[in-house]
Amino acid sequence: MISFYDKILQTISYFLVVKKSISGYRVFFNKLACSTMKKIIFITIGIFVFFACGEKFEVIEDFGKEKYKLINQNGAEVIFPDLTKGKTAIVGYIFTNCPDICPLTTNNMRLIQERLKKEKVEGVNFVSISFDPENDKPDVLKKFAEIRNLDLSNWTFLTGQKLVIDSVIKKAGVVAVPGDSTIYPDGRKIYYFVHTDRIQLVDDEGRVRKNYPGSKINVDEIVGDIKSLVD
Amino acid sequence: MKSKIVFAVLFFFVLINFSTSVSQEIQNPKSKIQIHNPWVRVAAQGANTALFFVIENTGEKPDTLISAESKIADIVEVHETYAKENDMMGMREVKFVAVPSKSKVEFKPRSLHVMLIDVVKDLRIGDKIHVVLTFKHAGKIKVKAVVQEMPIMGGMKH
Ligand SMILES: [Cu+2]
Repeated sequence: MISFYDKILQTISYFLVVKKSISGYRVFFNKLACSTMKKIIFITIGIFVFFACGEKFEVIEDFGKEKYKLINQNGAEVIFPDLTKGKTAIVGYIFTNCPDICPLTTNNMRLIQERLKKEKVEGVNFVSISFDPENDKPDVLKKFAEIRNLDLSNWTFLTGQKLVIDSVIKKAGVVAVPGDSTIYPDGRKIYYFVHTDRIQLVDDEGRVRKNYPGSKINVDEIVGDIKSLVD
Repeated sequence: MKSKIVFAVLFFFVLINFSTSVSQEIQNPKSKIQIHNPWVRVAAQGANTALFFVIENTGEKPDTLISAESKIADIVEVHETYAKENDMMGMREVKFVAVPSKSKVEFKPRSLHVMLIDVVKDLRIGDKIHVVLTFKHAGKIKVKAVVQEMPIMGGMKH
């Protein structure tokens, strides 16, 4: 670490000295190289890193005081975020008519779940919230999970009344607007939502602490974040 | 006498099966359009899913994918997933996909796909489906795709 640091200082001073040929710089950087100066710089970097890490987990939104009445994949009424209170939660936003982004998001949540299981990290819940409650009835969500062999021991799929769902996703900062559509031969019309691609890290008090692009997350990053939040 | 008839009938069925499976398995090796690594994402009956593959045009002339059809879904369309501002994602139909000469066009997650709307049965990992792709010049090409959750060959590097 120290030698790497010295090298950076050397490089900086080399360029400045060669470019400007002012001896003052040389004197300045020689001084920098002395150990007290190094300590000061190290402390400065330390403080910077500390604040940067703190910022990573700023409170983005607070579900903590809310009590949304929703319905899980078994048709039972549950209160969100109460069902995850006391545990860190990974929350994904989906609609099941989505053939690409939402299955990717769901599969990424499965990858996180599998990694946590492997690394014996406990106290994490998974929640998938549908923003298309008109189509995503409990049995549709249940089948969506079942066909993928998802482990629902710590994973809940949620749907509910449209008004309630709308206020949940609004609070979450998730936007979902009906976009292109396909009309069935029988006249039925299905919409493909243009929607925020999102997985959220929610802490044990129901506060959103970090957002990720759901369909293309870095599993290492999110697992690392979960661990530092759980500890 | 009876056993001979039974044998003949069985033989006939074996023949039929053999010939259909051959025609479905093998793409015409002379075709300038070749379809590589077809796979389709897991889906429940009545749901929608997406089919992916790589189209290779080995010929000197450009070609165009103009349609896709399959008995596995009520409606089959060519789609693309697209990104918008603020991490928004959407999806829309595309009427055709150009495949320039001596090139490959990749249908992959978060991008081009054949959209299977309202699949008629559960598609579980390992199942196989049949789809016909129609090109302007190369004509109809039969594709047999395997059901998976992730791409073939693990090509999902972000
Ligand atoms: Cu599509």
